[in-house]
Amino acid sequence: MRLRDDYEESRWHRLEKWVDGDIDPLEGRMEIKPPDGEKDENTKLPEDGEPFFDEEKINSVVYDTAHNKELKLFRIIYRLASVLLCVTLIGVLLWTVVYLPEFGSPDNPINNEVSARYIEKGVEETGATNFVTGMILDYRAFDTFGESCVLFIAATCVLVLMRLDNSSSKEKMKKKKEEENDRLYEPKNDLILQKVSCVLVPLIFIFGIYIILNGHLSPGGGFSGGAVIGSGLILYLNAFGFKKTERFFTEKTFRRITLAALTFYCLAKSYSFFTGANHMESGIPLGTPGAILSSGLILPLNICVGLVVACTMYAFYTLFRKGGM
Amino acid sequence: MEWVRFGISAAFLLFGILMFLAASIGVNRFRRALNRMHAAALGDTLGILFVILGLIIWKGISFDSLKLLLVVLFFWLASPVAGHMISRLEVTTDEDLGEIEVEHHEDI
Repeated sequence: MRLRDDYEESRWHRLEKWVDGDIDPLEGRMEIKPPDGEKDENTKLPEDGEPFFDEEKINSVVYDTAHNKELKLFRIIYRLASVLLCVTLIGVLLWTVVYLPEFGSPDNPINNEVSARYIEKGVEETGATNFVTGMILDYRAFDTFGESCVLFIAATCVLVLMRLDNSSSKEKMKKKKEEENDRLYEPKNDLILQKVSCVLVPLIFIFGIYIILNGHLSPGGGFSGGAVIGSGLILYLNAFGFKKTERFFTEKTFRRITLAALTFYCLAKSYSFFTGANHMESGIPLGTPGAILSSGLILPLNICVGLVVACTMYAFYTLFRKGGM
Repeated sequence: MEWVRFGISAAFLLFGILMFLAASIGVNRFRRALNRMHAAALGDTLGILFVILGLIIWKGISFDSLKLLLVVLFFWLASPVAGHMISRLEVTTDEDLGEIEVEHHEDI
């Protein structure tokens, strides 16, 4: 593409430069040459890790923050505008509340044929006596799949942001680790905590497993049970330290468990939706409602969700604490 | 008989709530972290015991009261240990603890 000859002067180019931050708004308006007296101090090379100049000082000199009228005006307007925005938002929301239908009225739009169908045929079609679970893991299973994926993606993002860089040299790595280490004063190997967690951790695990396995029979399910198991893992980690937990839970286990669970969820539910949409027999027995081995795919799906949630909780904790798993 | 039971359970509940009130006042009014934790532990142990005992007496002994007792047991196990850990951290990090003598020892 041929550029115009005076492209450098064109408005578009200047806008582009402005967007990229290439234009210095103070160019030609500020004295570039340092005063003679402070020359030696200013030309001194910065030491490692020390900032080259004092940003506050420079700002106060350049923008004259104490006496700048524009800045003062801007600050006042900014505060006023933020208050105004909040008040408007609250007002609009409250105004909408007035037009909402009355709570609990039978003519409400939510009481349509969909929820009636869930209530009438839910137990029969899904086989789950707790038909909230029947709804989220059968009728709307792909929604729950998305939620589990969101957890996985969140854990990956935290991994990207918080992980310590492995590529630099060993010396640097050591230094970095020491800088990141804010647990110097943390009590370690506390005997009381260890004895108590010896009692509590198995109970917490059993309770979490109970919640997951009973998801289709009683209130609970993969998300809450997974959170309970994850907190049990965190308690174990706090009591016994990273060395003990890394024997059975590293980044590799995290990756394998979450990937396997999500893949199984996706494949199983795709199969059952495909056969259901085409009026084919899926071959998954529903069992008698109320038994522990019933309601078709809901039990394995609950286990998958529980695994993903437990791993994500634990991964978050370790990532925020030491920047790795 | 019914009224006696109701009275006893109400007394238990009121005492438990009083404990929680004392705990929350203490948490907000004491100066030092260790004092505050002492106040908070009061509500977490004694207060919760009396509130749950009151509930059990009110509703009569059943399978649910066993579950409530398990809740008390869990709190009695978890809350003092959590307080102990926080106080250990406080002791190691606070520079002006005053006249409290702390025995430092290496990791067990």
